[in-house]
Amino acid sequence: MRNFKTTALLLTVPASLVAIGLYAAPILQVLALSLTEPKFGLANYQSLFANAAVGRVVMTTLKVSLMTTVLTVLASYVVAFAIIHMSAGWRRISLFLVLVPFWISVLVRAFSWITILRRRGVLNSALMEMGVISSPLDLVYNLFGVTIGMVHYMMPFAILLLYANLSDIDRRIMQAARSLGARPATIFWRVWLPLSLPGIALATLFVFVFSLGFLVTPALLGAGKTLMIAEYISVQISSTSRWDLATSLSTMLLLVVGIIVFAAMRSPALRAAFVARPQQ
Amino acid sequence: MRLRRIIEVGLPRLLAWCLLGFLFVPILVVIPVALTDRDYLSLPQDGISMEHFAALTDWSKGWLPSMLTSAGIALACAAIATALGVAFAVGAWAAGGWWPSLMRILLLSPMIVPPIIYAVGMVKLWARLSLLDSYTGVVLVHVVLALPLTVLAIGASLSNLDQRLVQAARSLGARPMTVFGKVILPNIVPGVAAGALLAFVASWDEITVTLFITGRAVVTLPRRIWTSIQDAVDPALAAIATVLLVVTVLALVARALIERRQRQRKF
Repeated sequence: MRNFKTTALLLTVPASLVAIGLYAAPILQVLALSLTEPKFGLANYQSLFANAAVGRVVMTTLKVSLMTTVLTVLASYVVAFAIIHMSAGWRRISLFLVLVPFWISVLVRAFSWITILRRRGVLNSALMEMGVISSPLDLVYNLFGVTIGMVHYMMPFAILLLYANLSDIDRRIMQAARSLGARPATIFWRVWLPLSLPGIALATLFVFVFSLGFLVTPALLGAGKTLMIAEYISVQISSTSRWDLATSLSTMLLLVVGIIVFAAMRSPALRAAFVARPQQ
Repeated sequence: MRLRRIIEVGLPRLLAWCLLGFLFVPILVVIPVALTDRDYLSLPQDGISMEHFAALTDWSKGWLPSMLTSAGIALACAAIATALGVAFAVGAWAAGGWWPSLMRILLLSPMIVPPIIYAVGMVKLWARLSLLDSYTGVVLVHVVLALPLTVLAIGASLSNLDQRLVQAARSLGARPMTVFGKVILPNIVPGVAAGALLAFVASWDEITVTLFITGRAVVTLPRRIWTSIQDAVDPALAAIATVLLVVTVLALVARALIERRQRQRKF
């Protein structure tokens, strides 16, 4: 009988070795380097907090991430709420409109937005031809463009999370509220919204954490002018070789993400969404 | 009464459709740009042209080699990640205990930890092992990034499996490997297939870490697209984007059709 459990444990070894050797170890090395490069101590962190450029990058990152999170969660809730109230046919069509952007490469989406928003892009040309504006607007390679691209990237995730959460809510509660004379607005504010708070919290958490460390969309739609942490780190390792800055900033980012996720895990609803089903 | 209903029900629904349009319509812009008759990124001006699609199949332009590179890496990644993922998920499911739980958290963490941090670590590690800009290096990194998806997909399949099936097989004298190979595995085939597919897509799309661990030798499709977006000139970029869009739509339609057929067969 012991034999069976031993075999089962042996099966978990190869993937565990990969996870330890090729994931945990390199990340721990980043943490270690932040303390030893170029010499042992907290000097890298002191210069990090004194660095004005880093301060600006952190502020931009927080600003974009917060705007993205608020806009994404609000818009996604509106969409998910509408989808669960649709007939089966319309629901299929709506989910298709969500799943195509969900599955398509992030690069294709960033490229689409550049094509639409750049100075000689689709939107500016159309507006100029209609005579709405006389000179092209700066819609991309700035905060506006980055936020639009990020919201567009995050919305499918958030919609699918909120949709799953809203579908699980027992509709008989709303029937009960209606039969007791509650108006639609009351049912929404007093029944739907409180019951969907766990889903909203989960979506907020995911979108915010993804935004903080996101490289692709901010890099392509910000083009170095709207600089966020991930792109700043990438510049430090690929062009200026400032490993001290790259590793200490990476460590700070990991720490912040870790604290956010750890704090969120203390809420039972979020824990249930993450942690594996307990073994019997 | 009627006005109130329009405001409370109609407006939110209209807003929802506008937002769905915001999600879907901008992606379609790549199609007209791919058909442009100019040799820079623009809408078609004096008619449409297929020349940019033809450029994709021209070996010397580099798009075709990159597609093959990405397909090869994604296949290798899917094979390795699925094998590791099946072994891990099944073993953890059957054994239980603190070790599999801990390893599961570690295996799933690439989904939460920003990939840029992993990229910093891997540049250092691969530089030391001389695996920068090598196929082995890229495949291994993609395996690590794909493992969360295979483990989750196979885990979902396993959670529907009755543990008593295993107990029955063992009480009838089946040896451990027989239980895993002939009792558990046949019951989780859909999860394994889903895991393999997710691993393939994850590798095919991976850009953040790949960007830092590849150079001139290994140019995956996302890497080539990345460079091309930064240059922002070649309409072949819109053509490849259109191809990816069409493949995504076809795959989603195929999945919907398969699901519908399965539903009909059930009833």
